[in-house]
Amino acid sequence: MIVGFTSTGEGWDAKIDPRFGRTEFILIYDEEKDELKAVDNREVSDMAHGVGPKTAQKIHELGVQVLITGNGPGGNAAEVLKNMNVKIYIKAGGMGIREAYGTYKANKLESIGG
Amino acid sequence: MKEIVILSGKGGTGKSSVCSALAHIKKDNILVADCDVDAADLHLIMAPENVPGVDFYSGIIAEIDAEKCIACGLCAQKCRFDAISLYEGKYRVEPLDCEGCAYCHYICPVEAIAIPQQNIGNYFQAESRLGFTLVHARLNIGAENSGKLVAKVKSIAKEQCKKEGKDFMLVDGSPGIGCPVISSLSGVDYVVLVTEATYSGLSDLERLWTLLDMFKLPGACIVNKADINPSVASEIRKFMQKKKIADLGDIPYSEDFPKAIAMGRTLIEENETRWRPVFEKIWKAIEEKI
Repeated sequence: MIVGFTSTGEGWDAKIDPRFGRTEFILIYDEEKDELKAVDNREVSDMAHGVGPKTAQKIHELGVQVLITGNGPGGNAAEVLKNMNVKIYIKAGGMGIREAYGTYKANKLESIGG
Repeated sequence: MKEIVILSGKGGTGKSSVCSALAHIKKDNILVADCDVDAADLHLIMAPENVPGVDFYSGIIAEIDAEKCIACGLCAQKCRFDAISLYEGKYRVEPLDCEGCAYCHYICPVEAIAIPQQNIGNYFQAESRLGFTLVHARLNIGAENSGKLVAKVKSIAKEQCKKEGKDFMLVDGSPGIGCPVISSLSGVDYVVLVTEATYSGLSDLERLWTLLDMFKLPGACIVNKADINPSVASEIRKFMQKKKIADLGDIPYSEDFPKAIAMGRTLIEENETRWRPVFEKIWKAIEEKI
């Protein structure tokens, strides 16, 4: 499974960014390879409008199957992710990445759509 | 620290009046961010100290370099916003008509069209006359609010709120349900909805609720001007019950609202004996829920 996080930084010690479209980084954790990599999203988050669908597209291109985030995506972005069968878990805003992953693994995060 | 955002869906329901009254009640333990940047008005009531603003850049507009332009007319022909016209033998962009799509920039055969980022206004962080910090923004003429600007105002407010050790950050959000509203909802703990007893008030409340429900955000609602149409007010209450939106109570129509704004006062200053108990009760109800 490939797990994505909206994140304020680049490693396990970073925090979940509660924002979806304007998240600064997207972290990708490949569970099989046990590999974490960071993707810079600041170019998207710097745009005035339409950042949700752009971030959603990026998440799809990165092959994310499970997304862990804060508030969750807005309407347009949620529609994109739903069609890509990305499972979305919310309300992890402010948690550390490791903590958020643990909470997800323990089935304690709320999910929407997907 | 808890972040509370005040939203209305429909404009003119009394959202900012409610926001300034609640801010007044909690003035010693609060920071206020005015994210209704299209029609920012909290600074009129809060009269913050004059501080230099920080330039804010967002969006692009095409600019034709007259020296490089060979007047081929391709840009004017392709611009779907009719923003480019011929003027004394050269093409130029009418900034108010340009949507910033950048199509002309990419097709210009002599690369004469630049797409610089626009300085759309300033944002400020200043002490209000009631003592708390107000973060607000001012747009240039013709500029529009964006999710990006709201995100900026909120992130400055949040940082400052933590630095000051205040327990509450109050955000005055935009009307509507678009990009600036979605942006104002990021990372909030509680949403206070202010509607009015009219059909457009109800309809916009329903639309806004659909958005909040998607984010699974908890919210409560105040029905302002509840007595101007009691039957609509009861329809609103029915909607709230159906959607399990907490009821923060009704406020009857009062000319104190426009009067207070015109005089640059909060409702508490306008008529303390009348309004302080009302807003203290509302604040207490909010605090119990977060």
